Amino acid sequence: MSNIAGKSYAMNTISPLPWHKALVLKLLFFIARFRTTSFNGLLTLSLIHYARWAILRPGDFPHLDPSQPKEDLKYHYEFFFSNFNGSWDQYVDSFSSAIPGGLDLFWRGNVKYPKSVPFRPFHNYITFNQYWTSHYYNAYPMAASNDVKSAEHLRKELVDFTRKVEGASPEAFKEQYDQLLLSLQYDLSTMAPTPVVSLAAAAIDGRERPDAAC
Amino acid sequence: MPNIAGNAYGLTTLCPIKNGGPPHRLDEDGATLPDNRSFGAILRDRLEDLPCDERSPMARVPNTYLCRFFVLDDLIYQGKPAEEDHLKSKYLVFTSNFHGDLETYLHGMWEHAADAVRRIWEHCVAFDRVTDAGSFVDYIKKCQVETTFYFMGSTDVSLAEQLKGLYLKQEFSKFAFANQGKSAAELQAAFAEFAARTRPDNVQGPTWRPGASQLKDAVVEGP
Repeated sequence: MSNIAGKSYAMNTISPLPWHKALVLKLLFFIARFRTTSFNGLLTLSLIHYARWAILRPGDFPHLDPSQPKEDLKYHYEFFFSNFNGSWDQYVDSFSSAIPGGLDLFWRGNVKYPKSVPFRPFHNYITFNQYWTSHYYNAYPMAASNDVKSAEHLRKELVDFTRKVEGASPEAFKEQYDQLLLSLQYDLSTMAPTPVVSLAAAAIDGRERPDAAC
Repeated sequence: MPNIAGNAYGLTTLCPIKNGGPPHRLDEDGATLPDNRSFGAILRDRLEDLPCDERSPMARVPNTYLCRFFVLDDLIYQGKPAEEDHLKSKYLVFTSNFHGDLETYLHGMWEHAADAVRRIWEHCVAFDRVTDAGSFVDYIKKCQVETTFYFMGSTDVSLAEQLKGLYLKQEFSKFAFANQGKSAAELQAAFAEFAARTRPDNVQGPTWRPGASQLKDAVVEGP
């Protein structure tokens, strides 16, 4: 079991909310899809690879066969899945500090949601409603979200540069190269395996062998 | 489509697991033993036994950025005065973030990791009707729930482009550091060697291996 794959952490929370508050929340998310500024706070934090919310009615739980009993639930449920860099505390505290209003907007209708500030009740709420991941796969465990974004910028610039300097004199090459370094100054850095961010992750690293599970 | 952000797709599935458990299991000598584990517990054990990083079966599935599996046993009771809710089935929760469209992705999953797919979904309701890539696609679509909002904080280019970018970032950062202060002619010659070795416009290789967790064996030369 591990919520951690390299530099990425998988958070899963599932929390109940009454049907009428679920309707309002769905409307808010619908509006947010067309108002991209709604998520500027998340983009500024820049520690998320991908995240999603899914709000399910009782009838939305898949029913595949008559032998499977149908769910009969009193609440609707908000599923939240996030892939982010850093530790659980860093992530949750970043959210509370940077976008408390946004957090409250998307969870305010949930049963016993305490609000994102102060920290301690909010921590308790997330911990209480969190589910642990059994298998987490990350295609680039050594990279943070910012590494992936800056790598894409660097790749494009480098491909252009390589074409541009074909047949150039050494002096012209040097001039272009210096410009390239200037344009890439925020993208140049090397990556490495993740530092240990938790005792659980350290224990996993410790027992890992070529054929062992993660 | 709320499941999509640019070219990235957020697949969310809840696959019901059969209630109960197997009547027995066999020990190493083939003798019958009672197995008290439920199908959900067996599945959880199998998920936790999967190798990780580059050895994960999901590393073989084209265009997977990040994905996860866990068993949803039940819903959490929030305490009074809230009402109590319980699930009548356990669910395998499988979510994936990938590049491209759903059908191509699931076909790739079956083509490159069918052995792991069969082992993971074996005890899920109605999975016994899955016999090939087409029926697997149909099955997963029945288990899919709509993502209400999908947030992309990274890029939506193909995984091959992402991995090539990371490889180039690593190599070019080292190159820039090692070649400071060189004359124009020396620098040009060194870059020619660098470009020939790293082939920046070839996303197939050299590049980073999907799921690579250590620098020493991260690079693959490609075709």
